[in-house]
Amino acid sequence: MKRFLVTTALALALAATASFAAAATVGQLAPAFAATDVNGKSVSLADFKGKHVVLEWTNPGCPFVVKHYGAGNMQATQQDARAKGVVWLTINSTSTDAGDYKAPPALASWMASQKAAPSATLMDADGKVGKAYGARTTPHMYVINPAGLLVYAGAIDSKATSNPADIPGATNYVKQALAESLTGKPVSTSTTRAYGCSVKYSSGA
Amino acid sequence: MKRLSVTPWLFAAALASAGTAQAQAFAKPDAGAVVTTPQVRAELVAHAPDGITPGKPVWLGLKIEHQPHWHTYWKNPGDSGLPTTLKWTLPAGLTAGDVVWPTPSRLPIGPLMNYGYEGTLLLPVALNVPADFDAPTVRLKLEAEWLVCKEVCIPESGEFTLELPTGASTAMHAALFDKTRSAAPRTVDKAEATAEVRDGALIVKVAGLPAAWSGKKIEFFPETAGVVQNAAPNNGRWSGGVWTTTLPLDAQRSAGPATMPVVLTTAGETAGAWFDMKVTTPWPPVAQVAAAPLPSLGNAAVTTPASPGAAPLGLAAALLLALMGGALLNLMPCVFPVLSLKVLGFASAASRPDARRKLLAGGLAYTVGVVLTFVALAAVLLALRAGGEQLGWGFQLQSPVVVAVLAALFTLIGLNLAGVFELGTVLPSTWAAARAKHPLADSFLTGVLAVAVASPCTAPFMGASLGLAMTLPTAQALLIFAALGLGMALPYLAASAWPALARALPRPGVWMAHFKTVMAFPMFATVVWLVWVLGQQAGIDGAAALLAVLVALAFTAWALGSPTLGPKARGGFGAAAALLMAASLFWAAPALRQEATASVPSQGDQWQPWSPERVAQARAEGRPVFIDFTAAWCVTCQFNKRTTLADAAVLADFESKRVVLLRADWTRRDAAISAELARLGRSGVPVYVVYAPGAAGPRVLSEILSPDEVRAAIAGAPA
Repeated sequence: MKRFLVTTALALALAATASFAAAATVGQLAPAFAATDVNGKSVSLADFKGKHVVLEWTNPGCPFVVKHYGAGNMQATQQDARAKGVVWLTINSTSTDAGDYKAPPALASWMASQKAAPSATLMDADGKVGKAYGARTTPHMYVINPAGLLVYAGAIDSKATSNPADIPGATNYVKQALAESLTGKPVSTSTTRAYGCSVKYSSGA
Repeated sequence: MKRLSVTPWLFAAALASAGTAQAQAFAKPDAGAVVTTPQVRAELVAHAPDGITPGKPVWLGLKIEHQPHWHTYWKNPGDSGLPTTLKWTLPAGLTAGDVVWPTPSRLPIGPLMNYGYEGTLLLPVALNVPADFDAPTVRLKLEAEWLVCKEVCIPESGEFTLELPTGASTAMHAALFDKTRSAAPRTVDKAEATAEVRDGALIVKVAGLPAAWSGKKIEFFPETAGVVQNAAPNNGRWSGGVWTTTLPLDAQRSAGPATMPVVLTTAGETAGAWFDMKVTTPWPPVAQVAAAPLPSLGNAAVTTPASPGAAPLGLAAALLLALMGGALLNLMPCVFPVLSLKVLGFASAASRPDARRKLLAGGLAYTVGVVLTFVALAAVLLALRAGGEQLGWGFQLQSPVVVAVLAALFTLIGLNLAGVFELGTVLPSTWAAARAKHPLADSFLTGVLAVAVASPCTAPFMGASLGLAMTLPTAQALLIFAALGLGMALPYLAASAWPALARALPRPGVWMAHFKTVMAFPMFATVVWLVWVLGQQAGIDGAAALLAVLVALAFTAWALGSPTLGPKARGGFGAAAALLMAASLFWAAPALRQEATASVPSQGDQWQPWSPERVAQARAEGRPVFIDFTAAWCVTCQFNKRTTLADAAVLADFESKRVVLLRADWTRRDAAISAELARLGRSGVPVYVVYAPGAAGPRVLSEILSPDEVRAAIAGAPA
């Protein structure tokens, strides 16, 4: 009986973290998702079959996001990618109960004020997409190839600091992964440790 | 003297956090060793009880006092955050060592886990004093950066200066330094930590921990970031003085070190135990997509491993294969009896006037029924996949309930063919009249039924085209399934368009009644197979429950539909049948819902369950790998398993070449297997994959497996 109880407790504990245990893995199919953008339009990953897709986790309240937007690095990466026909989805998984939650219009105007250039800015306040991808930090970056496989997961660049002065000397992993994947090469750095603030998932999750 | 560097970006960060974090505090112009922000008070401190003397201990440190609930991070911050960094500017000759990180705490945030410190923290650093050092005072300068978080995070930095007399004692913070030193992680004599990578987890064994720790709950802190899931529940357990825990690997693992420094703690101990944990098994390679996406079909592309046997198909070729695969479905034992009887019916009908037009209309209605049902099934599958489900073709049979319903359907068809009951007796006369009145609807429903009965049969050509279908844009994917349906309907459509074909069949006669009865047996054979599939899914209890339901169903069909029973007998037997049916369903329902806990590899023990780690491990050992992606409900898989994979020459080659045999069982839903199939460009089973030693990638063999092909592939011969 005791053993049974221990096993049950363990199973429950595992189930509690199952959302992250099953997170997306590089080299495998990127989890499908659909979410609503800041203009109320539904956007699904399946809409972009046959194209490269970049996912960017964001939260304007996070200094690391501000580091890359304030210095124009994120926007430059977005423009560079979209010029090559790449779809760019910026996703905000901040829960509505977090202090720095931004409602869709507020997020849209923040993105506009930053002159951000994603294909769409998606709301994921319930954290479903974020958990499917195992997104931990803002920013946290993912690259999906035209066959729907995840080819890069991790940091925006190689210098894990909050100081924008470090951006010019850092390797931009997203640019690198796209350059390689677009020319048919395997992605040389396919997984890195993302750095930044925690994604503000609902504490009940 | 003292200055807190508040740079513009930091200021912007504070402003951007929408008022949740207060704006950054500016430094107060007092003593040089202290920086105060709304979140922390940080101070550069020193401990040199014997002065700055060569050979005597000299410690520096950054003392951080956090406001309640604010924290800074350990050297491995966990899922987010950054460790505090210290940059020293020291007089010539003096050098500072690395931070001696105190034992951290676990700091959960939502589903994430961080490692760090709250309260009062000292990050101590040893100062190395050379033998010839000689100066009256020492001026120290420190630039420190730290990330302080509660719910929001604020990157802060400060510049600190401190002047120490060389010849006098500095011991103002002796108590803090002593306390920190006693709380630092330390090595334990004769203790050892080792780890193995197995089944997607790091299995850690620690022997020789202090006796006082025995039986207590142990916390585990890896110094290497990005290896294990930090937030995984602690399942550590004690067994004979050895502590073991299983830590799931991070799905996005970025490191695979041969040794991992780790810190263990337990409640009631101030100091953690430090280990340089050896990882004794090879790491699976950090995932990387090997092949480039090959552009095809306009903007769509599929990725398949770079092997000649698995070149991506063009849309036209895929449509053609789908058409042929569909036509072949008609010969499957589950479909043939139903359709052959329908076609035989044409022979008699064709002699009636006006028959041609009616027959053709019926044939077209049947075709529409088949195509629409296939497209509907595919649409459901694609919708579920878009919703994030990891499914592939054949998903219908991964549910025990669907398998049970199909078994019941086949039993009823078989009993009907065998003459146990007549539909006309069971169904209300209005229904029969409706059927006669709406022959087109009847033909349409026959088409729907044909797809339902065909769904367990996977035709040899379907694997490749359905695999392609899943990677295509929705419209093209549905087109493939429509072609499959069209292929299946073609023979029937042809027979209805040219009744001459039907007339070429033997003339109707008493043989047709015999033929009908004989056709009942392939139906019952299909039921046997479905019961076996259900047994794989729900165990022997589930299979027995299904058989009980089938017996009750057969009795019910006989009681209500037997042409030999009178109305009185029918009433009595019918009531008994209803009771029997209800009782068997009541008993069976939970057994059908309950899935078997573990699937036991049924054939020999040289087959091991498949996992990506097992493949990587075998390849790292230089052994060839053969993977059988299979499912109990897949006929082709079972055929290959009992022929080619049981072939003596193949088995001898497996043995002599030390091939690692892995079986990926897709009988029940399994996201890892679905994802691997997708990676191989497939969405259904069977799939046979060989990794020859030294080969760059996997080689996918054909679905109808021949012994020669397997032997050539494991010998590493070019395809």
